[in-house]
Amino acid sequence: MTIRPILSALLRNRTGAILVVGQIALTLAIVVNAVFIIQQRLEHIGRPTGMDVNNIVSTRVQGFGDDYDHLATVREDLAMLKSLPGVVSAVASNAIPLSGSGSATGWRDSDGEDPKSASGNYYNVSAEVMETFGFSLYAGRTFTPEEIDSRVVADTPGNYLPKLVMITKELAIELFETPDVVGRMLFDGLGEGTQIIGVIDRMMGSWVGWENVGNVALLPSVSDRPWTRYAIRVEPGKADAMVPVIEKALEDRNITRVVTSTETMESMAKSSYDADKAVAVVLTIVVFLLFIVAGLGIVGLASFTVNQRTKQIGTRRAIGARKRDIITYFMTENWLLTTIGVAIGSILAVALNLWLADAYGLERLNYWYVPAAVAALWILGLVAVAGPARRASKISPAIATRTV
Amino acid sequence: MLKMTHINRVYRTELVETHALREFSLEVESGEFVAVTGPSGSGKTTFLNIAGLLEEPTSGSYLLEDHDVSRLSDNQRAKIRNEKIGFIFQSFNLIPDLNIFDNVDVPLRYRGFNASERAKRIEEALDVVGLTSRVKHLPSQLSGGQQQRVAIARAMAGKPSFILADEPTGNLDSLMARQVIEILEGINAKGTTIIMVTHDPELARRAHRTVHVLDGQVANPEAHYSSLPAAVDASNNAA
Amino acid sequence: MFGYYLRLGIKSISRHPALSFLMMLAVGLGIGVSMTLFSLHYTMSADPIPEKSDQLFAVTLDAWDPEDSYRGNTQGLPPWELTYRDATALLESDIPTRQIAMHKSYFTLNMDASEIKPFMVTTRQTTKDFFEMFNVPFLYGSAWDSATDESLEQVVVLSKATNEKVFGGVDSVGKTIRLNTHDFRVLGVLDTWEPKIKYYDVNNGAIDESEDLFMPFALSAALELPFGGNTNCWKQEEIVGHQGMLNSECIFIQYWAELTSAQQKSEYQAFIDSYANEQKKLGRFERPINNRLDDVVSWIEINEVVPSDLTIMVGLAFLFMAVCLFNAVGLLLARFLAKSPVIALRRAVGASKRAIFSQHLVEVGLIGLGGGLIGIVLAVFGLMGLSTLIEDIDHVARFSWSLGAIAIGLSLGATLLAGLYPTWRICRVQPSSQLKTQ
Repeated sequence: MTIRPILSALLRNRTGAILVVGQIALTLAIVVNAVFIIQQRLEHIGRPTGMDVNNIVSTRVQGFGDDYDHLATVREDLAMLKSLPGVVSAVASNAIPLSGSGSATGWRDSDGEDPKSASGNYYNVSAEVMETFGFSLYAGRTFTPEEIDSRVVADTPGNYLPKLVMITKELAIELFETPDVVGRMLFDGLGEGTQIIGVIDRMMGSWVGWENVGNVALLPSVSDRPWTRYAIRVEPGKADAMVPVIEKALEDRNITRVVTSTETMESMAKSSYDADKAVAVVLTIVVFLLFIVAGLGIVGLASFTVNQRTKQIGTRRAIGARKRDIITYFMTENWLLTTIGVAIGSILAVALNLWLADAYGLERLNYWYVPAAVAALWILGLVAVAGPARRASKISPAIATRTV
Repeated sequence: MLKMTHINRVYRTELVETHALREFSLEVESGEFVAVTGPSGSGKTTFLNIAGLLEEPTSGSYLLEDHDVSRLSDNQRAKIRNEKIGFIFQSFNLIPDLNIFDNVDVPLRYRGFNASERAKRIEEALDVVGLTSRVKHLPSQLSGGQQQRVAIARAMAGKPSFILADEPTGNLDSLMARQVIEILEGINAKGTTIIMVTHDPELARRAHRTVHVLDGQVANPEAHYSSLPAAVDASNNAA
Repeated sequence: MFGYYLRLGIKSISRHPALSFLMMLAVGLGIGVSMTLFSLHYTMSADPIPEKSDQLFAVTLDAWDPEDSYRGNTQGLPPWELTYRDATALLESDIPTRQIAMHKSYFTLNMDASEIKPFMVTTRQTTKDFFEMFNVPFLYGSAWDSATDESLEQVVVLSKATNEKVFGGVDSVGKTIRLNTHDFRVLGVLDTWEPKIKYYDVNNGAIDESEDLFMPFALSAALELPFGGNTNCWKQEEIVGHQGMLNSECIFIQYWAELTSAQQKSEYQAFIDSYANEQKKLGRFERPINNRLDDVVSWIEINEVVPSDLTIMVGLAFLFMAVCLFNAVGLLLARFLAKSPVIALRRAVGASKRAIFSQHLVEVGLIGLGGGLIGIVLAVFGLMGLSTLIEDIDHVARFSWSLGAIAIGLSLGATLLAGLYPTWRICRVQPSSQLKTQ
């Protein structure tokens, strides 16, 4: 079947053609950009955390009475928590990774002139940090209980620095350009130094949307400020069940304090990714609806053309066109429209992405998304037109001799 | 009442130029019942289109009740069609979604009458065609003859100066056709001018005068209140 | 004639229910998806205090790191909060009609001999103008006065919810509550106050609820209260104890001024600029003078309260609606062209082009209306869906009458616009086409 006569028929029925082309073009532009954004979000959500997120429960305690002894309470709490059936390990920390709440600071590779600097989250933790969060050690060692620096805040400068530190490989590479930094010194903004005793393979910090989320430093210290968080590693699969058990065990100690925000780390991480997940879900729905709407649009307009040309089709059949020829005719016609649509749509898609990148700082498109979406729309077009084309092929040649 | 002088109507496409009417002249007096006959392609339909102000002539003059209506805007023509002309079509052309009452109502709506005036006229018109009991019916629930009577009621309800009928009995059997023609005669007897295009020689004979159109011209300009010439019979049979 | 066209439109729609529903569904899907996202955007970017938003200004001073601007160099904006020392210095000015310095903190609320288990409360330490400035309604009692701002008297204003939780909702003015180890006297109880956007402190959770209780700003220093919101520091300085924080270059104080006239505003701008210049002499404010007064609406905007993700999705949703409209136009065109004989007849019996145009535009309008209603239903469900996807957005992911009106208006407008072409096409049907024997 030659394309020329189809093309000229299309040019005569411009409106229908424009409507199909317009729909396909817009659909392609939206789908390419939406799928690209979805893909990015899923990658973002799926990054390895380096921790046993599914089996950790976290809680926060806040003391308020005059006779509240924070340092003693933390010691006893940790011992009590570790003795609970179902609990593997527990650690005190000023913040919980992936939770959206935490502290960060800038680190330097030297205290000399023109140091290299990198910022990242830091956590003031007790000794059980490694077995509790479940990260793996790349090099060096973790803290011993004796190395935990317990200080009284009123006696110390606001940002005191323990003598030892563990850092993530990512932070090591950013600052020192090598992960093999055990034994080297890490400096804070005031030029105070601390010695790196261990390097962690990977651990994510508190703010999942932050570019430096992989830069983490662990400082062995517990302060006497009257609050702390605990992370409690439980036996696999028991996290949800352990939430009320842990909360009750802490409350039952009957100290003048409040136990709040007891929840699984999984649910904290989930709410940190809420917005990303919502974007992915909403855009998936939009893409899904788009395919349906665009598909139905093609079905509708193809049916309309078939109805309009009933007599013409009958005549073609009468003068010897096979059913297959009629089907091929409509398939080819629609394929042509889809192709014009995707051609315009590809340009729109790239333009839309450039504009989004410019106005909202979105990343540039991986251009292979365009041919993938083009292929999808080609298939959609062929599937959508198959029904009307088959109906056209069933038009009786006898129609040609009727006067209607 | 209606006077067409040297009307020409030319249809042009990219390749062909067709002269549907050439130097067509015709005068119809008030109260006449005129039949227009002629073979297919003779220009009958074009005459009807121009007489009914559905199309404009390419040239020539058309006086309707002494007003020149050959060069009017689309809006003005719509207004004259609405007020002065009643149409009856071969295939009735009732609106299938509307019941009988609403079908007769259509031209009255565009006339801008108020509800009670419209109701009165619809009632009267349906009374003339004997269908007052069917106001709530849809066209599909009526026989062809009844549908055509509704169409007549619709044409009359606006009390037009003349009625243009296009093969009014063409889709009807002879019994129904007779009923329809009798109603038309009744209307004409009360003073409404009727111009009717038809193939049917018997029908044409019941008119006061027959105008025969051939090749876009009136073939018998001298005919007045005469019976149909034999030659026309022949051409009708051929069609 | 409108009534007649309306009747004809309804008739036409009910004669072809499937096709009509399909058209309404196409429009409705577009409206539903775009209104779901637009509603969220609209609520989050809406003026939260329209009666005086143009008189309330967030005050920001650029006393940040001379080496590095605060929010990256592209925007050139000063930090969103002030240091404690700058905030207390600005309070000395008598130019603004009202002004407040404030920060967020938290306590453990514990009642003696009470059935109420101790619980954490969020508090706002603020100077007294807060309530009048933001039109905060009182149920019982009142705010403190300027004398109390100085006197370090331990008084507190409760939110309605806190009063219900602690005192069962009765008039608790004069009663005492215990926060950590301090006793506070209740001065007032707020009535329901739920600004959808926490515009007075957008950087510590822009869609968070307002605080559980309010107390004088001076108590913050006196009781050494912790700073509960964002605290940011740039300077390499020794900070010892609470007083160290108050003297530091760290920022954690939000500051607002109410300026009712342009003259008052320019006077105040001159005041903060000259304050900055004086500080320069003391070796502070090393960056170029960049002190801003932003009214509520622009404050919400420059702090990007509406995430750009949402804006992008709203845009994509409107493009989706365009696809839906393309679809509806195709269906309308098919439907109208199928009606050509009837339209030719109407033309023949005297309908003007205008009458045909109006009649069909009314029909298009009905489809738009139907689409709008479907869209509203979908948007209501869509917002419910969003609330389950994202925590704590129930109060902004809510449909309202005004959003309903926008949905209907948008649907009608878009459908009528899209329907113009099919309607125009149908007006051009020749009345004479009826006469051709069928």
